[in-house]
Amino acid sequence: MMVDIDQYLDNEEQTVVIVMTSGPSAPNRCATPFYLGSVLASMDIEVHIFFTMEGVRLMEKGVAEELAAIEGGKRIIEFIRDAKRAGVTLHVCQPALPGYRIEPASDLIDEVDRVARASELADLVLRCDKVITF
Amino acid sequence: MECNGCEFNPELYYDAEYQIWLRREHDDSLTVGMTDISQTIAGKILHVRVRRPGTIRTPGKPVATIESGKWAGPIPNFMHCTILEGNPEVLENPVLLNSDPYNAWIARVEAAHSADHALEQFLTGDAAYEGYCKRARDEDIHCQRKVR
Repeated sequence: MMVDIDQYLDNEEQTVVIVMTSGPSAPNRCATPFYLGSVLASMDIEVHIFFTMEGVRLMEKGVAEELAAIEGGKRIIEFIRDAKRAGVTLHVCQPALPGYRIEPASDLIDEVDRVARASELADLVLRCDKVITF
Repeated sequence: MECNGCEFNPELYYDAEYQIWLRREHDDSLTVGMTDISQTIAGKILHVRVRRPGTIRTPGKPVATIESGKWAGPIPNFMHCTILEGNPEVLENPVLLNSDPYNAWIARVEAAHSADHALEQFLTGDAAYEGYCKRARDEDIHCQRKVR
C-alpha cells in the first residue's frame, strides 16, 4: 500500500501565538484554541496561548472545571491539560486580572505558566511566525 | 493479559506513563504504537500524520500527531532515532488504532545507537504489567476497543 505524501509531516519549526479573548460567556469558543494548540505543538511548533480580556477567566480556578464547549461535552480543563501535555505555554495578561477580581497569587489554576505584562504579549507577537486570535 | 479491560502484551516495551509501546523488529528497527489505555483516552481516532521518513528525532520531539474528535496530541518520543516509515494501513484507516492497538503500529524508527540501548529506558514484562495496571486502576480507565 502506498502512502499519500500529504500524510507525512514535513513542516518547518515555527512559533505560533494564539491570543485568547473569549471566555465563559462564549463557551463554544473555548475548546478550539487548546485543541489547535495541541495539534500545532505536536507538529514541533512552539505554541504560546496568551489570555487577555475575558479569556483570563478560563485560567481562574473553578471556571474551566465546570465549562464545556457543547452541552455534555468534554470539560475545558481537559482541553487545557491536553494542550499542556503537548507542550503549549500558557500566559495570563496581568493588566486584565483586576477587572475580573482575579488575584494572581491565589486564584489561577496550576496550568498557568506565566502572568505577563502587555509588553510581553507585544514581544511574543513581534517575534513569532503566526498569530491566531479567538 | 489485561487490567480493567485494557489489553497488555508483556513482550512489548512501554514508556513510564504507558502512552506508547515499542517492538523490536527482525532488522533491529523499532515499531511504535499506542497502548490500549492511550487509544481509549483519545476516543475514535480520525487522523494520523507521521514525520517524514528520514527525519531525525531527538527525545521530546514527537514521532506523529494524532487527532480524535475530543483529543489532539503527539505520539511522544523518548529517544534519538530516525523515522523509517509510517504504517500505510494506519495512515489510511486510523481507527485501526482503536480496534487493534497492538497490531496497528504507527511508525517504524531506527534508534541512533542500537535497539538494545534505546530499549533500556523502557519497561517490559512483569514490571510493566504492574505499572500498567496501576495506571488503569488509579485513573479508573476501562478500555474498549470497539469503534465508537
